[in-house]
Amino acid sequence: MVTPEDIKEYVKKIPPTPAILNQTILYVNAGDLSKAAKTAEEDLALKAYLKTLVNRPIYGFRNEITELPQIFSILGANAAKQSLYNYLLTLLSPKKWVLFKMNQHLFCDLQADLSRNWHNILVHLGVDDKDIESAITLLPSSIIICEALFKDNIENVQLLRSAKNLDYNTILKRLTKLDLFDISKYISKVWQMPESVGTILLASSGIKPSADEDLNKLAKWMHLLLFYQLSKPQFIEAGLNDFVEFNTDYVMDIYEDFMKLMEVQS
Amino acid sequence: MRAIVKDGIGIFYPQGFLDGNNAPSYLTIEDINATEHLKVDMLLVSLKKVIFFNLNGLDVFVKLLLRMRTKNHIAIGICDYDQKKYEAIMTYYKDSLSFSLFKTAKIAELFSSSYTVKDKTVLLYSSDPSQRSALAIELYDHGHNPVIAQTKEEFDEKSMHEDTYYVVIENTRLGLMGQKVATRVTGNAIIYTVSGFLDAEIGNTFNIAYHTNSLNVGFRLFIFDAYKVISMNVHAVNFLAKLSSSAAEYNATICFVGMTFEKTPITFKNELEDSGLMFFENMDDILKDKDLLEELGGSSVAVVKNKRSLTKTIVQELSEFIDATVSTIEMMTNAKAVKKSATMQTLVIENIEDKMASSIGFYGDIDGMIILIFPKEVAKKSCALLIGEETDDINQILDALAEFVNIIGGRTKTLLSEKKISVDITLPRTYATAQSLLDVASSKKGVQVDMSFNDDNFTFFLTR
Repeated sequence: MVTPEDIKEYVKKIPPTPAILNQTILYVNAGDLSKAAKTAEEDLALKAYLKTLVNRPIYGFRNEITELPQIFSILGANAAKQSLYNYLLTLLSPKKWVLFKMNQHLFCDLQADLSRNWHNILVHLGVDDKDIESAITLLPSSIIICEALFKDNIENVQLLRSAKNLDYNTILKRLTKLDLFDISKYISKVWQMPESVGTILLASSGIKPSADEDLNKLAKWMHLLLFYQLSKPQFIEAGLNDFVEFNTDYVMDIYEDFMKLMEVQS
Repeated sequence: MRAIVKDGIGIFYPQGFLDGNNAPSYLTIEDINATEHLKVDMLLVSLKKVIFFNLNGLDVFVKLLLRMRTKNHIAIGICDYDQKKYEAIMTYYKDSLSFSLFKTAKIAELFSSSYTVKDKTVLLYSSDPSQRSALAIELYDHGHNPVIAQTKEEFDEKSMHEDTYYVVIENTRLGLMGQKVATRVTGNAIIYTVSGFLDAEIGNTFNIAYHTNSLNVGFRLFIFDAYKVISMNVHAVNFLAKLSSSAAEYNATICFVGMTFEKTPITFKNELEDSGLMFFENMDDILKDKDLLEELGGSSVAVVKNKRSLTKTIVQELSEFIDATVSTIEMMTNAKAVKKSATMQTLVIENIEDKMASSIGFYGDIDGMIILIFPKEVAKKSCALLIGEETDDINQILDALAEFVNIIGGRTKTLLSEKKISVDITLPRTYATAQSLLDVASSKKGVQVDMSFNDDNFTFFLTR
């Protein structure tokens, strides 16, 4: 089915961060949002993406925001960096989805929902850190990788899953010794994201808790947030609800707090 | 979402949050249709990976379960929950709880007619005396030994020695159980359990496909455990008489055990005896009488020579069976599988020590049986994807082999359907030793194909 060679081939194709985007991120890191906006203007696809992203309902802006300096200024440094990484991830996403019933629009919705909710979680936890804020952007990369590696094996996976309750992540791990989150972590390195991003991401799989208690706690919130999102009707229908295994025990100690923050009523 | 089927139990595994808004998305029309066609004795929803649910969400699944019970006469329920979830379910359904609640899927298995593991000692407690009795009776009926704690104190004390029991049963309730005729295998006899008043409904609740396939794979003794039958009408008599006549074609015997004819016309008994059905007062009269058992055909499946040979159609489709096996091996191991030799012969297993096997039957436009024989170490490698971790636990390996042959059966079914040949597959069967397979299949003629992957050899055998 999927072999270690397939994974090698896949990671070879991961594009480096485009120069303009790289420069924009550097300006954001330095806190110079006006220069960042000016640089981003040079990439029309990036400009269009940021406009679409921030005008989604979850961002809650009443009037349409069209100018990049305005977008960067409203978002602030943390959310701006998060949005730039979200754009970077879209460069990896397929033009046509086969394994999951997804499309560009739905994927962008998922990114926006995850990003905004993650932002609210970090505010709730009193965490103000650009790198940690952008860690969420790489979480959906696991979905893109899963699509890429399994899209030619749909029938096999269906047969396998009819006999045993196995998620894609477990299947991949058993076949290749690597799982989706290992590959996501590798991508974070290719894109020169900070080490903490990879650590949180790996722990957010729910199967590899981090020894760093603070990062592990954030990973728990991320794991629960992922399944909160994947329990939305559109993502269940897309086949995403059980693509990785939800570890309820891992998140039990933050569950009540999460439910209050998300205002989920029984 | 599709239910995962194992040992006659189908289980849905939703994940995350389950509410009225998202629950309908888990079950498409195709999923519901597929569920209706499942051949299961029990259908469950697992809450193991559900962190939040409310009544509206759970009710979407419960309605599907209730529909399946009405349509297919199967047992239904919810499993894999903790104390908090159990209390929530009891609150939501306090006045209308007609389905079962099993604390774990492992507990649910004990109540399934198709579950092959029997004779387990379990600790049982329920604060509701009627539930306690109902659970105990069902466990006895399914061949287990419940140790019943009458009080919470007794239960707490006994559960301190948890390791003594196969499982500890609490927070478990039986709803209406399935109306299907329960089936179990004892040695080489198949035992059907029937109860109450037998009427025309037995035609719906009796799994005729399973019975026919059991005849096909060589079973020759079928016993109806009828201790709890109160009476029967002429429709049931006709059904049983037909069953007995058709069994005679296979030289098989059908027995009725434990039925008193106090409330049933004795002419019915005469009529059934005329059709070849035999009556006994006690189960032990058959099972403990070796001579009688042998005479009836229940001492060994192999004693009855199976004269059924492969048909031209099966031989023509041989490549589909082999393709299904090769592609499954390749999918599971990422290694290239190759066919080494193929001959028409009776089953020959060389070096039978340390070999294990699994088989699956198929029936429909064509019928027969696929058998796979592996050295233990090769079986482990073949099933590594299913087992997940290094293990020497024979039950885990056999379990994986059953799943493995089930996948092959499913793939064969698909390949044949592309050629407009419709077949259904039976439950898989496993053999811990090659000898136990030979006891059943040594006289069978078929196509034996020796295969290998990564220099590991295994045997494929296709027979009827």
